[in-house]
Amino acid sequence: MSLLSPAEGWYYKKVSKDEKMWMVIALVLCIMLFIWMVMWHVYGRQNPSSTTYKTSTAEFSKLSEAYIKQNMVGTDKGIPVVRPQPNSDVFILAEMWRWSPVLILQKDQAYKMHISSRDVLHGFSIQPVNMNFQVYPQYDYVLEFKPTEAGEYKVICNEFCGIGHHTMIGKMVVIEKEEDLKLYGYENFKKAPDLKSTKKPESLSETEMALQGEQVYALKGCAACHKTDGTSQLAPTWKGLYGKEEKVTENGKAVSIKVDDAYIKESIKNPQQKITVGFENTPMPVFPVSDEEIDQLIAYIKTLKN
Amino acid sequence: MFRTCDITGFKVDLQSEKLIRYNAVFAVISLLLAVVAAILLVFTRYQPVHLLGAEWYYRLVTFHGLNALIFWIIFFEIAGLYFGSTVILNTRFCAPKLGWVAFALMVLGLVMSNTLILMGKADVMLTSYTPLKAHPLYYLGIILFAVGALLAVILFFGNLMIARREKTYGDTLPLFTYGMMTAAIIAVITLASGALIYIPTFLWSVGLVQNVDPAMYKLIWWGLGHSSQQINVAAMVSIWYLVSFLTVGGTSINEKVSRTAFVLYILFICLASAHHLLTDPGVSSAWKVWNTSYAMYLAVLASMIHAFAVPSSFESAQRRWGYNKGLFQWLSKAPWGNPAFSAIILAIIGFGFIGGTTGVIFGMEQTNIIVHNTIAIPGHFKGTVVIGTTLTFMGITYYLIPLIFRRKIVGFGWAKWQPWLFFIGIALLSISMIVLGQMGVPRRHWDNTFSGGPFTYNFNPAVDFFWVLMMLGGVIAFLSTIIWIFIVVFSVFFGPKVNGPQDMQLTISPLAPPAKPHKGFEAPGTLVLTFIFLLVFLALFFLNWKWLAATWYVK
Repeated sequence: MSLLSPAEGWYYKKVSKDEKMWMVIALVLCIMLFIWMVMWHVYGRQNPSSTTYKTSTAEFSKLSEAYIKQNMVGTDKGIPVVRPQPNSDVFILAEMWRWSPVLILQKDQAYKMHISSRDVLHGFSIQPVNMNFQVYPQYDYVLEFKPTEAGEYKVICNEFCGIGHHTMIGKMVVIEKEEDLKLYGYENFKKAPDLKSTKKPESLSETEMALQGEQVYALKGCAACHKTDGTSQLAPTWKGLYGKEEKVTENGKAVSIKVDDAYIKESIKNPQQKITVGFENTPMPVFPVSDEEIDQLIAYIKTLKN
Repeated sequence: MFRTCDITGFKVDLQSEKLIRYNAVFAVISLLLAVVAAILLVFTRYQPVHLLGAEWYYRLVTFHGLNALIFWIIFFEIAGLYFGSTVILNTRFCAPKLGWVAFALMVLGLVMSNTLILMGKADVMLTSYTPLKAHPLYYLGIILFAVGALLAVILFFGNLMIARREKTYGDTLPLFTYGMMTAAIIAVITLASGALIYIPTFLWSVGLVQNVDPAMYKLIWWGLGHSSQQINVAAMVSIWYLVSFLTVGGTSINEKVSRTAFVLYILFICLASAHHLLTDPGVSSAWKVWNTSYAMYLAVLASMIHAFAVPSSFESAQRRWGYNKGLFQWLSKAPWGNPAFSAIILAIIGFGFIGGTTGVIFGMEQTNIIVHNTIAIPGHFKGTVVIGTTLTFMGITYYLIPLIFRRKIVGFGWAKWQPWLFFIGIALLSISMIVLGQMGVPRRHWDNTFSGGPFTYNFNPAVDFFWVLMMLGGVIAFLSTIIWIFIVVFSVFFGPKVNGPQDMQLTISPLAPPAKPHKGFEAPGTLVLTFIFLLVFLALFFLNWKWLAATWYVK
């Protein structure tokens, strides 16, 4: 009588045997489910951690940059590669639209991964093992992973993070023995010399400058949008860029300019000043890059000829 | 001003009837907007077609989410609240003018937010997680809509007060209205959470607030986002009881049990925000386990109680009509030709077996690791809000057309098939999305080939098969929704007028005769069905935990 007041005495009506039975079973199931989750923390091997630190985007970016600089052994597709020591702290930075660094991990060893974002929310999704975690700016989430199977893994972003969301894909390889590095072409990776100790800017040759520029390209995240293979999905490719005639919009007016040192410098320091026609929807953010690093980047771009 | 319904005998306040009509019409408009976007999205994610560009894909995901999850459902629920508090209680609408103010605010909100999205000023998804920022007017549109909805809920309580004071119903609220009251109470909690988060976010978007903490945003936003789905659950279950009454003259076999279950919803369902924070930093495991389980699953218990109480109300009534043979004669002799009946039975099955099972399993702290933000999540809520709530609302509309709009249903033959088509379509869509998600496919993602990224990833080749299934399910569901909208629009605007009981195409059953005293089970058929449900749940439960146990160790 769901449209009418219930019949007299409804409140004191006895619950039928079958309904009572079902309710008891349901209640037991509910309590079991609860206990199951608690017990998995004791006996299970997969539990989201409770370790979080409050941080700021600037602080975490600095941490991650310093970490990569110190531990980088090479680059893969413009992304720095790091081979952390087992049981060490690893810093993973998510940003529009890349994960850095690429990691070389040892099977059955644990790594404390600190994950945070430089800009918006991202989703940390390791495939094909299919483990998914949320990444925030301003929070450092510490997850201790122990890979149980060797192989190549990709980290895809599964939280919407802007127009280039689908290009945000990173990499981890898990090796069992040293020879496995060959599978990924990483066998020649060694610890790079510390840039600071060899830093003599005035004596650097153009080639050395360009090599350092390539590192800056990988470190600072230029590689997320600017490709060096000639494709221009989110931003103009750097291949053959130097010296090219480019159509840009300045103050709402279309003008044609030649890509030279001054233009590149301006575009990095003040990206909204001249916007290349066709890329209005993927505005470039301002990155913390020094003048010296800009010169190195320019040297690197010059080497990328068609 | 009242008219007395010549079919049901209820006293109908004409002002209230008009408000119900207008809210229902805007619900249908929102649904139309939502499904047009949906079909474009399906054909974008189906990679061989890949219809839209990235920009329009994300824009329409935002548009679809807002229209389907918020506008369609809340407009319909407001119509339901007005119906439950005036028509059913034979009473007048407390303040019709305010009812129109609420309606105007909601329409204004809808127009504003939708316009901003289509202009490309709010490509932030329904969730609009900060620091993604939309145009201030987008947030303002949602705030206006929420204020309108809140006003409507307050008017609902006003109507209840009048009915109580004027004693227009017996001593106790009818079960349907009681359930709608539950929905209204949850709606107040929900809309308060909405205000709590959208107002600072609006101020942030105009530059008056410096920073909206992203973790706080997500926590409180889901106090709106998830709890609002619990409004749907309460409203939907109320309609299930209502349809049992209308189609077979049934009622809950124990009203106290059903009402207690509704109270459990009110007490525990607002903890559900935690379902979205299980793999997030910021909150501890103890917090996650307690909240995600709604305090030891007491809100799940409520749904389990309804899972027995609703089908048993049909079974018990049918048995009293004499369909007493065996376990399932009550079901085989049920009024399957009545589209409201078939819609509700299919909604119950889909909601339980697809939405309910995955909801509990995906919402457990650890198993969430293997589904969080994958396409399995929208797959799950296609099983709850679409197959459950939307199909229920579609079903009850077949009664609203003759009773509230006073028109005959045009294309009644089509109406008989429509719920089945919709069920098959969404079941295909939902199940294939869940399977895709279990294989790691992300939700809200424009390109599964990661074109333009530094690396690429190839999913398990089996995904190709499920993409086809998903596309197929999407097409079927889209067509059936369009059929439903055509039926509704043609009936309401051009249908022949209903002049009395002889024009009713859907029968309204008299009350089932009282039960003869008997020993033993009241609803053995239902008990068997619920046991089958339990087995399916346990199978899926262990399957998911097995998958989880095979992943890397993490702590």
